[in-house]
Amino acid sequence: MSLAAVNARRVLPLVTGLLLAALMLPPLAMLVHGSFAQTNAAGAVTGWTLHHFRALLTAPGVGTTLWNSLVFSAGSTVLSLAVGGLLAWLVERTNAPLRFLATLSTIISMGTPYVLHVVAWLFLLGPVGPANGLWQAAGGAGKLIEVQSMGGMILIEGFLWSPLVFLLLGATFRAANADMEEAARTSGASVPATIWRISLPLAMPAILALALFVFIRAIGAFEVPALVGIPSRIYVLTTTVFESMKTMPPDLGQASAFAVVMVAIVAVLLHFYGRLSANAEKYHSVTGKGFRPRPFDLGAWRWAAGALIVANFIIVLLLPMIALVWMALQRFPRGFSMAGLKTLTLSNFNAVIEAPNYLDLAFNSLLVAAGAASAIMALAAFAGWIAARNAPGGRVLDQLSTLSLVFPGIVLGVAVMEVYLRVPLPIYGTLWIILIAYIIRFMPFGMRYVYAGVLQLHRELEEAAAVAGAGTLTILRRIVAPLLRPAMVAGWLFIFLIANKELAIAVLLASPGAQVAAVAVFDLWVNGQGGELAAFGLLWTLLMTVVAVLFFWQSRRGGADIWGN
Amino acid sequence: MGFARRAILHAAMLITAFAASPAHAAGADAALIEAARREGQVVWYSTLIVNQITRPLALAFEKKYPGIKVQYSRATSTDVALKIASEARAGRIQADVFDGSNTVFPLGDAGLVETYLVEAASAYPPELRDAKGTWTALNVYFMTAGYNTDLVKGADIPKTFDDLLDPKWAGKMAWTTDPTVNGAPGFIQNILALKGEAAGMAYLKALAGQKVVNIPASQRVVLDKVIAGEFPLGLMIFNHHATISAEQGAPVAWARLEPLVSNANLISAVKGAPHPNAARLFLEYVLSVEGQKEVAKSLYLPAHPRVQAQVAGLKPEAGGFKARIVTPDMLRAGEKGWTAIYQDLFR
Repeated sequence: MSLAAVNARRVLPLVTGLLLAALMLPPLAMLVHGSFAQTNAAGAVTGWTLHHFRALLTAPGVGTTLWNSLVFSAGSTVLSLAVGGLLAWLVERTNAPLRFLATLSTIISMGTPYVLHVVAWLFLLGPVGPANGLWQAAGGAGKLIEVQSMGGMILIEGFLWSPLVFLLLGATFRAANADMEEAARTSGASVPATIWRISLPLAMPAILALALFVFIRAIGAFEVPALVGIPSRIYVLTTTVFESMKTMPPDLGQASAFAVVMVAIVAVLLHFYGRLSANAEKYHSVTGKGFRPRPFDLGAWRWAAGALIVANFIIVLLLPMIALVWMALQRFPRGFSMAGLKTLTLSNFNAVIEAPNYLDLAFNSLLVAAGAASAIMALAAFAGWIAARNAPGGRVLDQLSTLSLVFPGIVLGVAVMEVYLRVPLPIYGTLWIILIAYIIRFMPFGMRYVYAGVLQLHRELEEAAAVAGAGTLTILRRIVAPLLRPAMVAGWLFIFLIANKELAIAVLLASPGAQVAAVAVFDLWVNGQGGELAAFGLLWTLLMTVVAVLFFWQSRRGGADIWGN
Repeated sequence: MGFARRAILHAAMLITAFAASPAHAAGADAALIEAARREGQVVWYSTLIVNQITRPLALAFEKKYPGIKVQYSRATSTDVALKIASEARAGRIQADVFDGSNTVFPLGDAGLVETYLVEAASAYPPELRDAKGTWTALNVYFMTAGYNTDLVKGADIPKTFDDLLDPKWAGKMAWTTDPTVNGAPGFIQNILALKGEAAGMAYLKALAGQKVVNIPASQRVVLDKVIAGEFPLGLMIFNHHATISAEQGAPVAWARLEPLVSNANLISAVKGAPHPNAARLFLEYVLSVEGQKEVAKSLYLPAHPRVQAQVAGLKPEAGGFKARIVTPDMLRAGEKGWTAIYQDLFR
């Protein structure tokens, strides 16, 4: 082995580790620092205090906030699991008709910013929306649905998350060991009995792990709590952090204290998630089978199942899209009506296309998402390979790169802001700060893709290259990189999509000169430009759907599913 | 760098001061235009509604001064102040000009407002122009109630503040959470001034019993909810917003709850702005007769004494309504107390 090769093997983990540490550690440190720091009016630290935590404990409504967070997260987890899980099972394991509709709605909702969905739902379920309108037309008194409520929040969040649940559980059901089901069926068990006694127990560890995963995401959710919760005066942890950043001057101390509490909660939950999912892997007995398990024959229930799939398609995709089209074509806001049909106008689309700032905005968003995806995949390629090969430092790299899972988006926004308000690096108010936040937030996903990709490659190839005299870098470049390409591309596209989708990370970091699409949609909503919002949102969704289609095509082709498993 | 920039500024100011008046008649002077053009853009943090006025004004400016781009964005007064203060803390100010009813005060306290006496605004009355040059009124506001004309007709249209206490409006009125004179605090000061302290508080308590819905968004959003029929009545909306929407066919009008609350939207330049000359040129433009005519064209109410509002009836003189002007000084003195009453009774 040449000297250069030895050096590369030592230096590579070190450089990767330093880069990751420089990204991941400052936000966490600053958050903790901020929660104990006493500051003067100009924001300079003057001493240390427990005041922020004390204030947090004694503030009125803290208990309610925590309780709201719990109810909201638990409720939306259950709903999204029920909807997404049922759908996944119908699509993957039965012969229900029209199954492609479920995949279609999932692909399109992958590309739609959450905030846009929420706006559409608020219209549909709102006081003048079709739900209440039909109810009143049918002679109902008052409102059928009060969307500005905890129930409304859970309903919207649950449906918002059901496509991802569908994807993830779909993978579980696809990989399920069908031998036992086959055995049960040949022994004379009915379809329901087989599902109840065999399929469900087998999938249960994966379902539980996924439930916890969705719960963690819901704790950190921002879009629904902000748009639905704040007007209803229902505050959860994320919106409390947001509001304390929005007073003049911003209460960084209180926001940090709340953020630290959230990080602690998420860290504990993640610990259990790790154990649950490790447990789930144990049952993940067979992979890479050459055949797909025989689908259950639903018999006469086939069409009922098909109706469910269609209903889901209408609710999750069709209605929100129709709502957005309607909003985009109106000069001023109004419910669905015949009168509204006569006043349709393209003026909102014209404004979006002609006003130069929308083009800048779209370009900025694409640039920063592509930048983040590229940087992450580049870093993850090294870190993931080192970790997957159990090379020295591998464990540390793995932990460093997945550290940011403890940050809900809004918390990361606060943390990154604190870092760059104090560090004399003038990137506050530029796209760079959003880029850095995205890299930190989505690094764990890139790591998952590379790690799983490397595990699929047999060591022999690399060993053979090493025997033939290739150095570490040569092996990486000539052997690993080409074979990893499908996983890398899928990971890149996935990060690109979610970076453009999430609002919470950028909402505190975006500036007028450095704006991204999801934040712009949120601003348009708060400022009362629903028409332009809908027009811009639809065009944006169209663009992102193209990327999402590419992503699915690449994932299928590369044999990696959404999670990189 | 700092010195060089200051030197250029001083030179520009001297040139502005000594420049002959014919150049002024045509607008800003050549040296300022040239310096602004070299900067290439001006960044405007606005509290105005983008598609109604911010964008049209920006486009008009870009048309008059090709090569100088206007970057704009919209947020509430508090958010605009917050952004600029954070930028200053991070050592990277990006805003050149900003507006808002009370954005300038916290920023002035933080030493972030440039003093610049806008030449084009020399004819403005003193209440619309700070003598030190920290702000000038860009447009004036009249706040009142707006109602959905499909849902509220004839005798139901409120004519006095006491009409709002009718039980039929319980839960049917909304207003913005904007904690400024343009939100509930402005309403509160109006009632206290109109009815006196004791009767005023009694009225406000009765109004709180009507469960006015707080909308955490702009006055424009509140009015949109009135237009859509979610609420028949919206309080503290801008009367010109109702006119703009009515001209587009929306079922909305504004009620004459006298006196209307009046204040001004103040525009200022940022101290340490990245494009100081473009900022000045922009102020000179939007406050000039020409810029103010653009303001009028978008149905906003110009501050310039010689520029007529497009719909004259939106202003007290032609509209024949009484208005109570809240000056920046009154605002500074009373704001805390009004906001406290709001938090106490209505949150």
